[in-house]
Amino acid sequence: MPHPDLTVKIGKLILKNPVIVSSGTFGFGEEFEDFFDLNQLGAIIPKGISLIPMVGNPPPRIFETEGGILNSIGLQNPGFQAFIKNKLPYYRGLKTHLIINFFGNTQKEYIELARRFDQVPAISALEMNISCPNIKRDGIVFGTDPQMAYRLVQAVRKVTILTLIVKLSPNVTDIGLMAKSVEEGGADAVSLVNTFRAMAINIHTRKPELGNMIGGLSGPAIKPIALRMVWEVSQAVQVPVIGMGGIMNAEDAIEFILAGASAIQIGTANLINPKTGMEVIQGIKKYLVQNKINHVQKLIGTFKIPNAP
Amino acid sequence: MPFQTDGMVIKNDRIKPLYFLLGISCPPIAKQIKPGQFVMLKVSEDRSPLLRRPFSVYQNCPDNYPEKKKRGCLFILYKKVGKGTQKMTALKKGQRVNLIGPLGNGFTLPPLPSSTSIILIGGGVGIVSLYPLAEALRDSKLFVFIGGKNREDILCVEDFKKLNSAIFIATEDGSLGVKGTVVDLFLTQKKKFKRNSRPYLYTCGPVAMVETLAKSVNFKNFICQASLETRMGCGFGACWGCVVKTNHPQTPYQRVCEDGPVFRLEDILWE
Repeated sequence: MPHPDLTVKIGKLILKNPVIVSSGTFGFGEEFEDFFDLNQLGAIIPKGISLIPMVGNPPPRIFETEGGILNSIGLQNPGFQAFIKNKLPYYRGLKTHLIINFFGNTQKEYIELARRFDQVPAISALEMNISCPNIKRDGIVFGTDPQMAYRLVQAVRKVTILTLIVKLSPNVTDIGLMAKSVEEGGADAVSLVNTFRAMAINIHTRKPELGNMIGGLSGPAIKPIALRMVWEVSQAVQVPVIGMGGIMNAEDAIEFILAGASAIQIGTANLINPKTGMEVIQGIKKYLVQNKINHVQKLIGTFKIPNAP
Repeated sequence: MPFQTDGMVIKNDRIKPLYFLLGISCPPIAKQIKPGQFVMLKVSEDRSPLLRRPFSVYQNCPDNYPEKKKRGCLFILYKKVGKGTQKMTALKKGQRVNLIGPLGNGFTLPPLPSSTSIILIGGGVGIVSLYPLAEALRDSKLFVFIGGKNREDILCVEDFKKLNSAIFIATEDGSLGVKGTVVDLFLTQKKKFKRNSRPYLYTCGPVAMVETLAKSVNFKNFICQASLETRMGCGFGACWGCVVKTNHPQTPYQRVCEDGPVFRLEDILWE
């Protein structure tokens, strides 16, 4: 059995493998083309896009902590119009799925963006970001209030037929409840986790290490918490779960798949080893061959729970 | 075009109490890298530190380099400052290290180097990235200003001497050269440079130094380029973590790794 089947299904989308590169850690894709063939990936998610351009947060925007990275980029992006004009043509030549991560400051902006992206050919799916910890306006409320999240997803659902993935914030008490709310609102899938709100202080200057004071923590430091949340969410909803949070290699990715993720996203690891996505695909394939599993779908959620005593 | 590749450590010697010279055999990068460009080095195979660290190249020896044993090698002169560089000091000859490079834009050279005066102003370990530039401009009149906190921080003096440059040294404690900052020293010498010749001025060093210089130099008299040092995530333009504020109309926060590290000094906005 030399070639196990790696395809997975997310909403209406069939990915050739479960490995997606995460928004905000993969630039617009072209930054990585010198390192490997992007067509190998299951899907690409470029930097999150808003209706109007965003200049981003003041520096310093990045700070390394033990096993993790704090960032407060502030969703800097060129906005819808410039993205369509300058960045989209690049993706037309690619033979992988393009998933657009987008966000708004108001429900109106979310709807308007979804409506516009829905009309753009070459886009396979939408990932709606209701969870970035780096914007101060209303955005954060959508990510932590199940009622508001439900209403927002329901409204966006009405304006697009594209597969709609909702990216969840881990900065909540009950992430299963959030996932259930967006599923009821009409999400085709959920992705989690975004970064954890976090900070660091320089003891010599007594100032925060980030210009924005608070940022989001990512990297291997958050993996065990992310894994627990992916497990909880996969128990709470019927729609596919896309897992992420500190995945550095194929072993980490397989853990998330066992916990219930139908697909996974590579984030922080892209910055350290730009070829991580490619290596994770190879590693998953190898694991399936070694364990004589002919289809990656047979692995999803198969983690063995010991019987209660 | 950057690529990711392994290199082999050929030396990692302490040259001063806090400064080390790391030599890496890496012919593909050594062949291509230009003055002012940098590499992202994974300083340890484990996850501590997690991110790569950016380093400008002190000496770069392509395949046709006169000294045979240095061919295909690049040299990094670094200061032991934090966790990353602390780990780096443990690298041993023969060990493999992973690099991404060449990265960044590099310095823009004057169109007529032999008839242009060149001013180099380096603070601390910043002077290191100016040395390959000086080598490339060895036919020009070179004026090199080297500064640091004390004599331990004054680097590359012998190297610049070999290029027949006029050397000016300043230390904050006065232990070598003139007492004071390197920018102050440059300002006392500024009149030397005639307005009509419009020399090229290149600088690299701590942000505070570059800022002071930017605020005290008349851009009509000098063509100024600054190589900036900021904390970096990826080093190749993906994360937007290393930005600096500029006068760019649409995108004020420009990436130091991809849009720099060399900027026109007058384009940088100081906050």
